[in-house]
Amino acid sequence: MNTRSVISAALLLGLGLAGAALALRQDGFDHVEHQNLFPSCTSCHAGAEEAGAPLWPTATDCATCHDGTVEERVTWTAPRETPASNLRFAHLVHRDSVAARLPADSAPPECAQCHATEAGEPMRVTRGDPAPCLSCHARAADHLAVADTACATCHVTLAEARGITEARIKDFPAPPSHARPGYVGSGQHGREAASPVRFAGQTQVAASCATCHARDFCTDCHVDAPETASIRALAADARSLAIARALEAPPSHAAAGFGGQHGGPAKASPRSCATCHTQESCTVCHVAPATRTVMAMHASGPGRGAGAVLERQPPSSHVLGFADRHAQVASAEEKSCSTCHVRTECLDCHRPDPGSGSQFHGANFLARHPTAAYNRETTCADCHNAGQFCSTCHLQSGLTAGRPLGTGAKYHDAKTSFLFGHGEAARRTLESCVSCHTERDCLPCHSSFGGRRFNPHGPGFNPERLQKRNPEMCRACHGLQIPRRP
Amino acid sequence: MKRAHVAAAGLIALGAAGPLAAQGYRVRLDTRVLSASYRGLEEDSIPAGQAVTGAGSGLVTPDGYAVSCLAGMTFCRYFRAGPKRSGLPWTAGADATLWGFGVTGLSVRMQARAASDLRSEADGEWPGADPTVQLLEAYAELARPSFTARAGRQTEVGRLGFQGFDGGRVAFRQPDRGLEAVVFGGWGLARGIAVPVTSPALNPLDDFQPRDRQLLVGAGASWSHALADLRGEWRHAVDPGSSHTVEHRAALSATVRPLARVRLSGGAEYDFANAWWGTADAALTYYDSRLTATAEIRRYRPFFDLWTIWGAFSPVPHRTVGGSVAVLVRPWLTLDGRVEQYRYDDAEAEAPLAQTEDDGWRMRVGGRVRVNDAWSLDGGYRYERGVGSAERNIEGGVIWRSGDRVTLRAEVAALIRPLELRFSESHARWYALSGDLSLGPRWRLASDLVWVDESRERPDAAAVSWDQLRVSTRLVLTLGSDADRLPPGRRRPRVDQTAP
Repeated sequence: MNTRSVISAALLLGLGLAGAALALRQDGFDHVEHQNLFPSCTSCHAGAEEAGAPLWPTATDCATCHDGTVEERVTWTAPRETPASNLRFAHLVHRDSVAARLPADSAPPECAQCHATEAGEPMRVTRGDPAPCLSCHARAADHLAVADTACATCHVTLAEARGITEARIKDFPAPPSHARPGYVGSGQHGREAASPVRFAGQTQVAASCATCHARDFCTDCHVDAPETASIRALAADARSLAIARALEAPPSHAAAGFGGQHGGPAKASPRSCATCHTQESCTVCHVAPATRTVMAMHASGPGRGAGAVLERQPPSSHVLGFADRHAQVASAEEKSCSTCHVRTECLDCHRPDPGSGSQFHGANFLARHPTAAYNRETTCADCHNAGQFCSTCHLQSGLTAGRPLGTGAKYHDAKTSFLFGHGEAARRTLESCVSCHTERDCLPCHSSFGGRRFNPHGPGFNPERLQKRNPEMCRACHGLQIPRRP
Repeated sequence: MKRAHVAAAGLIALGAAGPLAAQGYRVRLDTRVLSASYRGLEEDSIPAGQAVTGAGSGLVTPDGYAVSCLAGMTFCRYFRAGPKRSGLPWTAGADATLWGFGVTGLSVRMQARAASDLRSEADGEWPGADPTVQLLEAYAELARPSFTARAGRQTEVGRLGFQGFDGGRVAFRQPDRGLEAVVFGGWGLARGIAVPVTSPALNPLDDFQPRDRQLLVGAGASWSHALADLRGEWRHAVDPGSSHTVEHRAALSATVRPLARVRLSGGAEYDFANAWWGTADAALTYYDSRLTATAEIRRYRPFFDLWTIWGAFSPVPHRTVGGSVAVLVRPWLTLDGRVEQYRYDDAEAEAPLAQTEDDGWRMRVGGRVRVNDAWSLDGGYRYERGVGSAERNIEGGVIWRSGDRVTLRAEVAALIRPLELRFSESHARWYALSGDLSLGPRWRLASDLVWVDESRERPDAAAVSWDQLRVSTRLVLTLGSDADRLPPGRRRPRVDQTAP
């Protein structure tokens, strides 16, 4: 064993011994040492039996023996006040109340019943143990599992126990009920808190809640605190916030698609939602005009909990690429969209601002737009007018045809004689073509007026139908000599 | 002072004055400015006699640009880097909703925008800055439980597009049965913009343009239930001068929820004028709290109004099969991916001299890491090998948030994008910084700075730089009456998250 280990062990041992010594000094009076001197507990603690008598002996009483001659002097002094507690126990009251219930010839309860640690050793005492209390008052249930009404038998409410510090409140043991699944989220605690006992025409909070909690604790989460009788019945006490608390979503919120389907239940039972949700909680997603259900919720304000603080979450449909395909959903479920989106948002993209940066496509779309547009990742024409948007920019970039085709520089120079075989590309991506070319570029070859008269009509062309619907379109190429199909 | 400034001042004054007449209002004033500089291409020529044979045996200019020399022409033409251009588009918008006029359900809504390129050059303004003033929406609405009537400039939203028009719209509903029927009509606006088709702004290349605005009528019906949502819509637009059809289409959309966690959505368009089916799609989605998976099929066919000739050029559709998945691996880690394969229908125009790809596929994988409440990271990789063009793109970003007040984002991306129809492989690196600052409940300030370092790989001197620098700033002021705005939620340290 090296030196460091020896020193460490010695320090630990020293600390342990010091702790033990301090623990032994906690009581301050060695009852066992004095057990043969005092015939009864009330010799010193007369107040437990006699009205008006002190509960504690005085220093003078000790000096009867500890006078410096018979025994060494001691400096013990009686506590100035009763230790802070939330017990409502008073010895004389308890004695009288027990006496009233017992037969007349019965012996009164003895001190040892509560304060003795072992039977037959009356002076081996300890602080009052709740177990004997429970044997009478709660039919032997565990302390923290007693019936709801039993708490108030021995305890005052937290608000009344003014002397208890927040540190002690923080360490209050939680009853087993609090560990039940869904105790918070599924409303169990609310039902248990609403005491069936009505007093002065109002529902009172269950005594078991008030023992450890005060209104501030509930209000920190409950939006509907001012409307909830069991919370109103609690006294205000900021110390109650020392106990940890957490919102817990009801099981229904975990169901698939709950985000999109919660409207029905909310409409049917807005009060249930209003427990945890404010109007603001709804309007994180629901845009104006607010629905009746939303307006029925409480607006946040003093005396109300913030409730569930939500972040706007997109629905499951809004995954990668949804922006390009949202028309599918928006066409069928327009109302669903209007839950979260206002018309201005639609117009921001569908009628794009020339000064805007990259709000829809992303920052680098400009460089990759030829690819995206050529094979139409999405429908460009819903937001961009080919003439005003595409052609104007292509014109200024020198990408439009400035002279009749075949007489200028070859732009499509990667294909040999592209001009003579462009039909396939043109029929596939005509929208891309017309962002740089106009009818004027095509008609010299593809109209009846030009010298070449190449037929531009291909698969699906229905001349009779088109001529019937709009013969002017036919006249653009054919003039008045619109051919008839043989 | 430019017209735009006057218009913007008027809009803002209108926005500020409007609430005085109404007891409830919400107004958003929004102004943005973007500074951008870029360089494009410019066509040039040299005398045919000056063209020389380049390294690849093709003709080039003496300084190395590949040229196109047509037989019989005295000049050879080519593209060189154009002049450096810059734009300073500035916009001011007002978005107001007013209610409380003493008639239950009556409200007025207006959204307008003034735009101008403060650094406009002789040969054109910044795209989108013309026309100077755009009235996006302006209508009065009377909403009652059984109907909603609306009159003024508005947009009809549906599978057939985001159609603007000046006119009226009435929706009748039976909320307890989930039924709604809509009819509307008026003078239509152009697609993708809030101006009539007759506006010169839509015709920068000076070509075909209708003389009159189209007359538009439409109708729709929907049924909403816990198990399904169905909606049908129909639109018919005619040229008032000739009574000829400009657009005549119908569409059906549906979402069915046959099982918990399963959703089937889809729909299709039909073009009566061309007598063919347009775009259609169907998607089957499974979702739970950790996983969302979608299998999807899609058919895309572009739609052209009949005042153009493009519909008669037989645009063929392409069909896509794909899927996506998003997984919440850990509460702090989300991974997602998407893949789709597409193939074009036979265009019946195959030519041996210019054969092109007829199918392709694209995919993207990405992820997001939430380090803590303040920091998060995201990144992704995108790959496409397809018709006309392809790309390989990797991107990543880091976001820092301070509550709801401040969001800062930095991102970088690298892209390689070859084109099928032009000798040009773009290599771009993208650096962006953006910030969003909430200056109290009413003010919001946002700014972006983007630098694109882009070069083109070509075998000749036309491998020009397309570098760009963009700086934008946006200031938003939102005002509202107490009647509408709920008191702000009291924030507190999060005890537990109960969001579903």
